[in-house]
Amino acid sequence: MLVLAQSGFPEVMGGLTLYHYLMVSAVMFCLGLIGFVTRRNLIVMFLCTEMMFQASGIALVAFSRFYLETTGQVFVIFVLTVAAAEAAMALALVVLLFRRHETLDGSVWSVLKG
Amino acid sequence: METVISPILLYAMVALGGLGVLMAMPRDRVNLALPGFALGAIAGGVVLAALGVRLAQTGLSVNLYFYIFSFIALAAALRVITHPKPVYSALYFILTILATSGLFLILSAEFMAFALIIIYAGAILITYLFVIMLATQAPVQQLSEAEPVYERVAREPVVATLTGFILLAVLTTEFGQGVGTLSSGGTPDSDRILAQLPLRIERALHEEHLLGSGEGILPNEALARSVNGDGSPGPYLIDPDARTAVVQVQTEGGARRTVAWPADLELTNTESVGWELIKEHPGAIEMAGVILLMAMLGAVVLARKQMQIDEDAKRDQALGMNPPAANGEGA
Repeated sequence: MLVLAQSGFPEVMGGLTLYHYLMVSAVMFCLGLIGFVTRRNLIVMFLCTEMMFQASGIALVAFSRFYLETTGQVFVIFVLTVAAAEAAMALALVVLLFRRHETLDGSVWSVLKG
Repeated sequence: METVISPILLYAMVALGGLGVLMAMPRDRVNLALPGFALGAIAGGVVLAALGVRLAQTGLSVNLYFYIFSFIALAAALRVITHPKPVYSALYFILTILATSGLFLILSAEFMAFALIIIYAGAILITYLFVIMLATQAPVQQLSEAEPVYERVAREPVVATLTGFILLAVLTTEFGQGVGTLSSGGTPDSDRILAQLPLRIERALHEEHLLGSGEGILPNEALARSVNGDGSPGPYLIDPDARTAVVQVQTEGGARRTVAWPADLELTNTESVGWELIKEHPGAIEMAGVILLMAMLGAVVLARKQMQIDEDAKRDQALGMNPPAANGEGA
């Protein structure tokens, strides 16, 4: 029988600290941030925001493990919800903008600046 | 508190990784992507190795899976932000998600791991891929250079990378102050939650053949009250502290006995997440539903615009009234 969590895995995961996971989370978040700023394709920019969501999810699950609470994992569910809603809105917007200007270049829309 | 990695090494590796990311950015003239990836991999690898060595010094075992998964996740993340083709970016992001769900499995958060694969890789990313396919210009003249210039050249790579990696250095310095090991074992109030799930206990008892075929946990409040007056332990006679349950032998007309739970009976991750979600955050679920509904409405409203014109044009094209080129001139 496959026992993943409660009896099997803690033995294997003995040598991990919270720092490991926070490190991975921070690096992924910063990569997403850099990608959001540097990429000019609107779709990839939104992909990078999803990556930042996911980095925060790693940190939340790691903290939930650290404090032996499931609240962190429940928060990840809501982060997923917001990410799904954001994806739907963003993609509808991208399709709309693409119909107007036939391009995915975000800087074309700099006229939207105040 | 002690620091996990020496700050000098950490800053050096953050700077090296920043340089690698900067070199890996898509550029117009020179292509430094490969040395950039190499530098990034070296920086990440040195930090991960330093973490492993530090753990080995303190006598803890080294979890190889964590290093494999995190390396895959970060390498794919770097590729997401540097690949000039958006389809490949999305596919690399799926790889990031798969590796992240591996990390979640190591944290014994199986529900989140599989939810991540199903929702992110299965639903959201497929939607992204659809939109990428829909909203990509057909290659008109320049067949040699399929990607337009805004894909091939990064915008402000130096400033962005500098800002991002300064943020990373600050964050990792803060994280390094005082870090505990991740404890093993389930949630501490696991038994208490289990005591409120009598059918779960009963099923476990049946699986272990601790109950006969006609036996069951005392089913209702009236029976519990008849046993101990005020019915204080609750409608079911389950004691989470002693991990026992009172069961009734139905065939012998109400005889009762106390059985201990199976020793390995613990709340699974999915059960505890579901319990937390329903018991503690019911309002948040409602709000999440409203957010999703609003997003759906908003997407429908946004995407409906100009639908009529497009449909007309498409119908004209489909009927062969005027070929696409002539259509373009006419419009």
